[in-house]
Amino acid sequence: MSTATERLQLPLPRPNVLELAPLYEVLRREAPITPVTTPAGDPAWLVTRHEEVRLLLGDKRFGRSHPEPERASRITTAAVQDGPTGEYETEEADHARMRRLLTPAFSAKRMRMLADHMDGLVQGYLDRLVAEHDASPDGVVDLHSGLAYPLPVAMICLLLGVPESDHELFGRLSERMANTTIGEEAHQAREEFFRYMIGLVETKRPQLGEDVISDLIRAQSEDASYDYAEMVRLCVGLLFAGHETTVNRIGLGLLFLLTERSRWEALVADPDGRVDAVVEEIMRLGAPGDLGLLRYAREDVSIAGVDIRRGDALVLSINAANRDAEVYSDPEAFNPDRPERTHLGFGHGAHFCIGASLARTELRVVFAALAHRLPGLRLAKDLDQLRVRTTLTGGVAELPVTWRSR
Amino acid sequence: MRVEVDLEKCVGAGQCVLAADDVFDQREEDGLVDLLDASPPEARSADVRHAAAVCPAAAILVRD
Repeated sequence: MSTATERLQLPLPRPNVLELAPLYEVLRREAPITPVTTPAGDPAWLVTRHEEVRLLLGDKRFGRSHPEPERASRITTAAVQDGPTGEYETEEADHARMRRLLTPAFSAKRMRMLADHMDGLVQGYLDRLVAEHDASPDGVVDLHSGLAYPLPVAMICLLLGVPESDHELFGRLSERMANTTIGEEAHQAREEFFRYMIGLVETKRPQLGEDVISDLIRAQSEDASYDYAEMVRLCVGLLFAGHETTVNRIGLGLLFLLTERSRWEALVADPDGRVDAVVEEIMRLGAPGDLGLLRYAREDVSIAGVDIRRGDALVLSINAANRDAEVYSDPEAFNPDRPERTHLGFGHGAHFCIGASLARTELRVVFAALAHRLPGLRLAKDLDQLRVRTTLTGGVAELPVTWRSR
Repeated sequence: MRVEVDLEKCVGAGQCVLAADDVFDQREEDGLVDLLDASPPEARSADVRHAAAVCPAAAILVRD
């Protein structure tokens, strides 16, 4: 163990929401697994190189639980990805059950079948934004509140069986739960979110429907080994992740496209032909949040010349791995035509994002529709003036845009 | 070209379906991979290899 003075303090300050701290480039080359102090003040390893991040994500010797949770390093003061979750002894079996229950509901085919429904929603949001634009004296509208936020919320509510009218409540709770600057209040928000979810679960129980939360309630009631609190935690996690992540990704994607005109014009020239590649590049380069995915070593492991001890915390920097020059040519450039077609934007291995197909479908529908309907779209504020969210999931709080009416 | 899938490894991510939906599908009951065509035509080689490369569980094996 090195001394505290030698440790880097996370998060590494970044120039803006689109770029990363330049230090990541040095770390990838010289110290791909390096000791750091987390924002919560505890020791951890920061992993920055693509090779090791991918390897560790696929290695079952690293998990989300901890052999002695009370002694585990904490990552942030937010109440999401802040420390260990789940039971150390049964983690793998619990995770396998969770995947088995959820995978069919989020399959690629089912998500594709929802694309037309999503497109209908997006066209409706755009109709409203266009009307608002035409009626507004300065012609500026907010795509964050008018499109980036409502679409993922509507879709996750539909899939989970959550009333969309609750969105202000769970939206506010999600925001507070992931906030890294409000200390204990984030954990209070998490408790409130749990109470909200228990209320919803018990309201649904007498009349279960064809939705994911109903499926989970059924599965939990039929399986004595499936803990009630565990099920509620999963429902909260799905509702949180099901909108937070995609809302931010739409925002960052739009900023990548609009801060350099040629990127937007390339998409506008052929929306249907270009959108898939654009979405993948947004998934690679978009870097909401400054940390990474959290793992704890289940046993002692030596990797890349570093000895990791059982129980050590690791922060796997997806952001840094996705810009590794050993894997990507001109890695900082936004280039949907790059030959490297894979990225770690949805993770890798057993915990690969269960909502990847949902998110991809949403992003494709959003960016294709925007390019078709608002080809003259531009940002109404400089990148540096946009309000940035102080949450673990990052992103911007506003997307002021305008366009010239045709 | 021969394709093999390992259901023990598959995590149901659906990446292969997005890459080549004429070769891979997901089973309705558990979302795991359903291999539709174990010897796809050579013209499908690039997409099938891409599917193997993006599989987060390394559950797809392609042989020439």
